[in-house]
Amino acid sequence: MSNNSVISVISRFLEEYASSTPNKLKVIDAYLLYVMMTGALQFLYCLLVGTFPFNSFLSGFISCVGSFILAVCLRIQINPQNKGKFLSISPERAFADFLFAHTVLHLVVINFIG
Amino acid sequence: MFLVVLCVVFIQCQVNIYSAFYSFIPVSNDTRDLLLATVSEDSTASQIHQSVSALSALGLPLASQEVVSALKALHVLIIILALLTASRLSQQAELGDILEEIEDLAARLDDLGGVYLQFEEGLEATALFVSAAYSLSDHVDMEPPLKEDQVIQLVNSIFSKKSWDSLSEAFSVASAAASLSNNHFHVPVIVSAQGPAAVSHSHPFLRLQVTDVLCQPLSSASVLAESASAVSSKSAVLSQALFTLRDGVFELNFMASQPASGYYQFSVAIAGDSRFVANHVELKVKVSTRVAINNMDLSVVDKDQSIGPKTTRVEYPTKAKASFMADGHQNFAMTFQLVDETTGVELTPHQTFVRLHNQKTGQEVVFVAEPDSKNLYKFELDTAERKTEFDSISGTYALYLMVGDATLENPILWNVADVVLKFLDEEAPGTIQAKTLYVPKPEIPHLFREPEKKPPTAVSNTFTALVLSPFLLLLILWFKLGANISNFTLSPSTILFHIGHAATLGLMYVYWTHLNMFQTLKYLAIIGSLTFLAGNRMLAQKAVKRYTHQ
Repeated sequence: MSNNSVISVISRFLEEYASSTPNKLKVIDAYLLYVMMTGALQFLYCLLVGTFPFNSFLSGFISCVGSFILAVCLRIQINPQNKGKFLSISPERAFADFLFAHTVLHLVVINFIG
Repeated sequence: MFLVVLCVVFIQCQVNIYSAFYSFIPVSNDTRDLLLATVSEDSTASQIHQSVSALSALGLPLASQEVVSALKALHVLIIILALLTASRLSQQAELGDILEEIEDLAARLDDLGGVYLQFEEGLEATALFVSAAYSLSDHVDMEPPLKEDQVIQLVNSIFSKKSWDSLSEAFSVASAAASLSNNHFHVPVIVSAQGPAAVSHSHPFLRLQVTDVLCQPLSSASVLAESASAVSSKSAVLSQALFTLRDGVFELNFMASQPASGYYQFSVAIAGDSRFVANHVELKVKVSTRVAINNMDLSVVDKDQSIGPKTTRVEYPTKAKASFMADGHQNFAMTFQLVDETTGVELTPHQTFVRLHNQKTGQEVVFVAEPDSKNLYKFELDTAERKTEFDSISGTYALYLMVGDATLENPILWNVADVVLKFLDEEAPGTIQAKTLYVPKPEIPHLFREPEKKPPTAVSNTFTALVLSPFLLLLILWFKLGANISNFTLSPSTILFHIGHAATLGLMYVYWTHLNMFQTLKYLAIIGSLTFLAGNRMLAQKAVKRYTHQ
């Protein structure tokens, strides 16, 4: 019984997602999935082989985590359903913020990667 | 000295007269040196005054601190001279005020570490003070206000030097000695042992010299050893024993109380005269004895105990006739007892060593023989265990027993026997080298930090490819979603923005490989501002386009 309900919930969710999400957001979601997989693979490498250049591992992992967070912020700000909450921030402004934050993040990451 | 005084007085008068008439008086260097030399501790008060006034009237520099200390020393000397003078006056005169000066002056004495008491003006002043104080006190027949420990400390200071700088200093010490040994109130007593403070069976008497400060023996004294206790066990051996006087020396037959060998703390009291000061003394006395070795048994014991031990008894100072053999299967053992020759009491001296000396190579190895609970000394040699000390060199070793102690009169070095030691021949070194202690030691090369272990290149390459693979997934997903760049306008701001953005990414790569943070920030500022302006323009255009579409 519960198995059925979990599967039905998931399939319902996927249906809703495919139909009602605008394309722009799906593009960002694909990017999010990419970043998450990259981070997970880095972590797996660290677990398997060891943390030898620990600073490099940290910088790569933080880069993935930071990119994920910034992309989520962009997605939230671009979503037309959230327009009421971000009256002063246009999508272009959100994108510009996203780019600027990424610059700072990558400066730190490259500094730390050693 | 008298001439100097005259000169100074003359100069002083001249200066006073001339300064009234002239404003400038020429002074030669000799004159100035003469005036400065007069200001010293040996001058009288009037001399000091005259030379100081002359110097200041002439406008010459003065050493003011020197003058002050010279004046202070004068004060003490004046009082002492007053005391000495008063002691020769008639007893009917009113000497009470001068007597009080003794107490005031005694308060000015400096206590140095609780051992010495003296004036800061020096030894001569202290010794003269003592002699003056006692002569005045004797004269008026009143006890001087000096306590017993003050008198002891004064004696320590006055008689601390063995040679004196000047005749007057020597005189002051002699005068103090005479007054301390011959006054009505305080006579310090000096107690010293004649020779070393040691007794033994051959010298059973403890001899003490009891004298006054002038080393005159105090025959009227009675010397009593209040207690004598062993330093190690603190048990009392003697109590209230009187010394007898013989030829000016007080002696006591300490060996009659049959003390065991060791050190004893004596507490001696000297009585006989109420004037005696410092008449309780502590002394450390050594009792020595002769040692005898009993029951020296040498044996060769089989390790597996299958054959019984063969014991040979050796008498001191002979040597055992046969030599003993010890190899891997047998141990060599030695037992003996050390006793006091006269009393037969067992002794445990500080040093009981067994020395094995290889006559051919000159090697020697020393072991310690230890006593068990019954004070029986045992020494066992196991060749297998001890081969490192011997460097596995087999041969005949002469065995010596060494016994020594501070309280033994006859330390022993006895060649007891010869021992043939056999080690496994393979382990013996080819050449016998003397142990060199003072050659340069082998160099220690510096070990740089080992680089950390890295995983094999194949593994890291695989993972690099793996980590880059989600990018492909992303491109595939984007393609499937229909993401495109159809809205790409070819306006200058767009192109500039994209170039700037690419340049930023390129700068990041260059930062990783070549640059440091400061250079990167500099370039980033330039590229970033261009990108920002272009991007701002581009996004504004996009926003306008979006609004017009809506």
